[in-house]
Amino acid sequence: MILAAAFWGLIGLAPLADEVVADSLPDATGRELMEGVYQRHRQYPYVFEVQSMVLIDRLGKRDTRKLRRYSRVDDKGGAQILLLFDSPPEVKGVALLAHRTPDDRIRKEIYLPALGRQLISNGTVTIGPSGHDDDHFLGTDFSIEDLTGESLADYSYRRRENVLVNEIPCYVVDVFRPVDDAASDPPVRRHFILQDGLYISRTDHFDDLGRLKKRQTHHDLVPVDGDMWRANMILMDNRAEDHQSIVKVDRRVFSEDYVPEHLFTAEWLYSNVPPPEEPDETPGPELDTAGETDEENAAP
Amino acid sequence: MISNLFLLGIRRPGPVLLALLAITAVTAAGLPRLTIDTSFNSLIPADDPAKLIHQRVMSEFGSDNKTIVYVHDPELWTPEKLRALDDLQRSLKQIDHVYRVDSLFSLRTIRGESGPDGPVEVQSTPVLDGIPDTAEEAEAARRRALDNPLYLGNFFSDQGDVTAIIVTAHEPEEPQDINPVLYAGIEEAVERHAKDFERIFQVGPPRINAELKASLYEDFKVLGPLSALVLVVAIIVFLRSSLAAVIPILTSGLSIVWTFGLLGWMGVPLNILSAMIPSLIIVIGSTEDTHIMAAYFRGLIKQGDSVDKKVARGKAIEYLARHVGLPLVLTVLTTALGFASNLLSSITLIQQFAIAATLAMITNGIVTIFAVPLVLAHLGGGEPPASFARESDPQSIGPSLPNHIIRIFRISQDHFPTGTLAVTAILCVFFLYHASKLYVTNDPLSYFPSDRPLVQETHMIHEDLAGIRVFFITVEAENDKAFLEPENVKRLASIQRFMDKQGVFDSSISLADHLAYINREFQGDFGRDAIPATRQLIAQYLLFFHRGELESYVSHDYRRANIIVRHSISDSHTLNQYIRELEDVVDQLTGPTLEAEIIGENLMVNRAAESLMVAQVKALALLLGLIFVLMSIMFTSLKGGIIAMIPSVIPIALMFGLMGLLDIPLNPGTAMVAVIAVGIAIDGTIHLLARYNELCRRTSDFVGAVHQAVGEVAAPLIVSSVALALGFGVLLMSNFTVVAQFGALAAATMLISIVANLLITPIIMARVRLVGLYQMLGIKVDREVLESAPLFAGMSNYQRRKAILISEMGEFEAGQCLVKQGEVGRCMYLILEGEAEVIRHDGDQQRSLAILKPGQIFGEVGYIRDIERTADVAATKPVTALRFDFERMQKDLKFFPHIVAKLNFNISAVLGERLADVLDQR
Repeated sequence: MILAAAFWGLIGLAPLADEVVADSLPDATGRELMEGVYQRHRQYPYVFEVQSMVLIDRLGKRDTRKLRRYSRVDDKGGAQILLLFDSPPEVKGVALLAHRTPDDRIRKEIYLPALGRQLISNGTVTIGPSGHDDDHFLGTDFSIEDLTGESLADYSYRRRENVLVNEIPCYVVDVFRPVDDAASDPPVRRHFILQDGLYISRTDHFDDLGRLKKRQTHHDLVPVDGDMWRANMILMDNRAEDHQSIVKVDRRVFSEDYVPEHLFTAEWLYSNVPPPEEPDETPGPELDTAGETDEENAAP
Repeated sequence: MISNLFLLGIRRPGPVLLALLAITAVTAAGLPRLTIDTSFNSLIPADDPAKLIHQRVMSEFGSDNKTIVYVHDPELWTPEKLRALDDLQRSLKQIDHVYRVDSLFSLRTIRGESGPDGPVEVQSTPVLDGIPDTAEEAEAARRRALDNPLYLGNFFSDQGDVTAIIVTAHEPEEPQDINPVLYAGIEEAVERHAKDFERIFQVGPPRINAELKASLYEDFKVLGPLSALVLVVAIIVFLRSSLAAVIPILTSGLSIVWTFGLLGWMGVPLNILSAMIPSLIIVIGSTEDTHIMAAYFRGLIKQGDSVDKKVARGKAIEYLARHVGLPLVLTVLTTALGFASNLLSSITLIQQFAIAATLAMITNGIVTIFAVPLVLAHLGGGEPPASFARESDPQSIGPSLPNHIIRIFRISQDHFPTGTLAVTAILCVFFLYHASKLYVTNDPLSYFPSDRPLVQETHMIHEDLAGIRVFFITVEAENDKAFLEPENVKRLASIQRFMDKQGVFDSSISLADHLAYINREFQGDFGRDAIPATRQLIAQYLLFFHRGELESYVSHDYRRANIIVRHSISDSHTLNQYIRELEDVVDQLTGPTLEAEIIGENLMVNRAAESLMVAQVKALALLLGLIFVLMSIMFTSLKGGIIAMIPSVIPIALMFGLMGLLDIPLNPGTAMVAVIAVGIAIDGTIHLLARYNELCRRTSDFVGAVHQAVGEVAAPLIVSSVALALGFGVLLMSNFTVVAQFGALAAATMLISIVANLLITPIIMARVRLVGLYQMLGIKVDREVLESAPLFAGMSNYQRRKAILISEMGEFEAGQCLVKQGEVGRCMYLILEGEAEVIRHDGDQQRSLAILKPGQIFGEVGYIRDIERTADVAATKPVTALRFDFERMQKDLKFFPHIVAKLNFNISAVLGERLADVLDQR
């Protein structure tokens, strides 16, 4: 469910599943289980969400950001997303525009109002095992892939023994990169899929030594369309760095009216910008160095 | 009472032996409880208020306790080397207790490209995303790495041929517990990859701790036995007695078990200075034993050959108990005081050592008092060594080394006393001038010799990267989000610019650097002035950093900021000077709205060095004050106190001067030399003064008494001082510079104290008369006799006893003539015990004029006038009488003016009475 939850939870650009696992899931392979997950919790074309992003450091101190997320899927499988910060006030208007192509490439652009009316390319990310992913997306403990979901074609899957997670029966699927030897190498991730609902409720991320690096869990699951579920809260517990990031969905609307096409343009973003302040051009304080020359005062 | 303690070993050998064995068994049971503390925490005063601030800063901004794995290779940025480096960092991650490993594989960099209208593209990417396949990719990674000013100097050298892997451990409750595991784990990984790189090593607290511990064990194994060997050889050479060599080894062995066992029970850990303890026990303990053995041999000589050997041994022990009992207890006390005064230091390391050493000195004293008589009574032999018997003759100066030294000294004392004192004074002034150049240091790395790999590799890191020593400058504002304000961020940059101007710190990184860096990538241009201009821009740039990347530099609420400074200054004095300068400037730059602290374990350790100087002055003042008071009381005179301090003060002045001349810093080792040297040097002085004092009672030739006292005390004093110097010299073999410097300085001080004790003190001593309190207390005279004696009329009991001691006491057999009619003698007598008859001779006839009883005086006319005696005075019963010599009394007038004036007044009164009687009779 990482895929669906992350997809719908923050950016919402999950790929479409290739196949559907119909019956006999208990005997399904890892890949079949994953395909079942993708099929059941499919993508929605127009989503608007009001989110709270909470960052918790190793001392338990919290920083909260409020943002809006707009996502729109086109007919060819591509998609656009807009993350727009509303608070804290200093970052109001900051926007991340992402365009996902059907071949899983994401082109990102950022808009920093304090820098003026310009969109700055934030590079192109290729999602997948060979891509150059930002492991700390927007200062959170999520990577883009954590939030957009993995492409099933890019990984191999191996099913493990079913387990109980919080006394709830789960399927367990290990995720390997193509270069990995599933017999000897540690998996990059391990999904825990609720047997009832085929929803990924937990994903453990491992480092290259097989040690638990991050644990992503999904909470406050709500049905949104028949068998399809969404999580209203995603927690990423970064064990390696002792940080946590939470994405909480305060409001969710599936409606084209809330996600009009023009939102994904620079013009709309500029119009949404608060006017930049007068820059502070005063230099930093200096010592009372009466008698010294400017050259002496200059930093080496 | 003290004599009785000594004699307990021969009077109650069984119980004493049992008690000694029982104490040894109990204390030995404490040995397994001994712990070792080599933590840096012990170098910081326990009450340092900065500790709390440090803990708070550590918990907020992360530990300053990191290990750097230094990797150097000219071909570092090639796929092959990077693969090996990746393997290394993976190995490091697998070590127990490792919290994180920061290396070029975990570093991220933000790169921007600008067009004519501003930034076109900005990307956050890892320096290395996996192992590069080609040389070109590796080279591109190198360029990315070196382009980041936040990493240059911290993770990479300028040329990129050196990289640092920084290993951070979890913060455990007890840092000591994980350091060995960390060190061993990192070392194993480093050794495994040694073949892959041109140079690779680790430097950090785990290694420093491990090396401190290993060196400590090695010191324990080497120094104690070596000291014992040196001691045995020295004693055999000087005293030519194997028994004299065995006794100190026996007492030292017992004392070592007692001391370390007690430390185990008390929970006082051993530290690097504790390595000295066995040597100190052996060496210092032996000085007492040497004095005891010398007294024992003198006692044997006094018994002659006629007595049974067992009886002779008993008598000799009684002799030594009488003659060295009190001085020995006093010397044990002063030595223990010398060590105990180090408790005034606020540095835990020194306090722990002070406890251990004081305990060692006291246990050694107790063992000596009870065990030595016991051993001597049974194994003491019946004869002194032939050489000792020959050389101990006070009237002759034999050919031995001590006597050669005395002979040379005597030339100066007899012919150039003033010149000798003047030269000494000039030397003291010269050395005190150089002592003013003394500086302090407390850096743990300075404990090791400079040629040790650890020290050299630390220098290597400093040359290629920033130094391994870290401190923080934390700046706190009153309000949240203060460090989103450009003005405040610029203040951080201003502090860093000032440090750049100071030019002594290797690197500093703050939030200002991160913002200037990202600003450069977005807008071009870099410098600490290129701080984003608005609060909004700062906040928006910060979205590009992960919290983990900033948590060492700014608190989550942006209320507190932290500048991390790395440096390689090991000289505490220099560092403290720069830090004080920095503190002043930081206060000025932060202004009234911000509050700044400069904090770091390294700084606290170095700041503690300042307290070394203060503690040194306090301890010295306290010890000298105590010795002054003790000696003044002991010799019932302030002059006695002053004289007793001379042999201590001179070596100390010279020692501090030597430190200044030879550029030896005051550190936890050398800071203790002065007080310990005073404690030890005073021992010889006490023995010397006590002996001189005793001799003065039998003669009015004070110079002769000085010569005799020096002659008697010189051999044990020189032997013990040379043995001490050799024993301390053994510490030069220590793995620790602080211990070696302590050993060298203590040895030099011991040798100088020989000169002070045997050359300078006698010159001054000959000019004074002292009376020992213990002698006064030891006088056994009928109090009624003294109170009724007209000579002591109007005097207090104290004055009477002192008057007795400044006179000569004589014992006369019945029939012996004390005064002969017709002879001229300027002395008079006071009868204390017995009876004498005054007989006048007229031709062949003799007439008894009077029978003199205790309390009466005679010969007073001869005392006043240089005329012939008018009658004989002969003892009719055994008589004990005090003899008051006119010339001596005139000399004593300047030493004891009140007593002598009173005596003279009373003599006048007696003479007046006599005159009145004569007139009445007419």
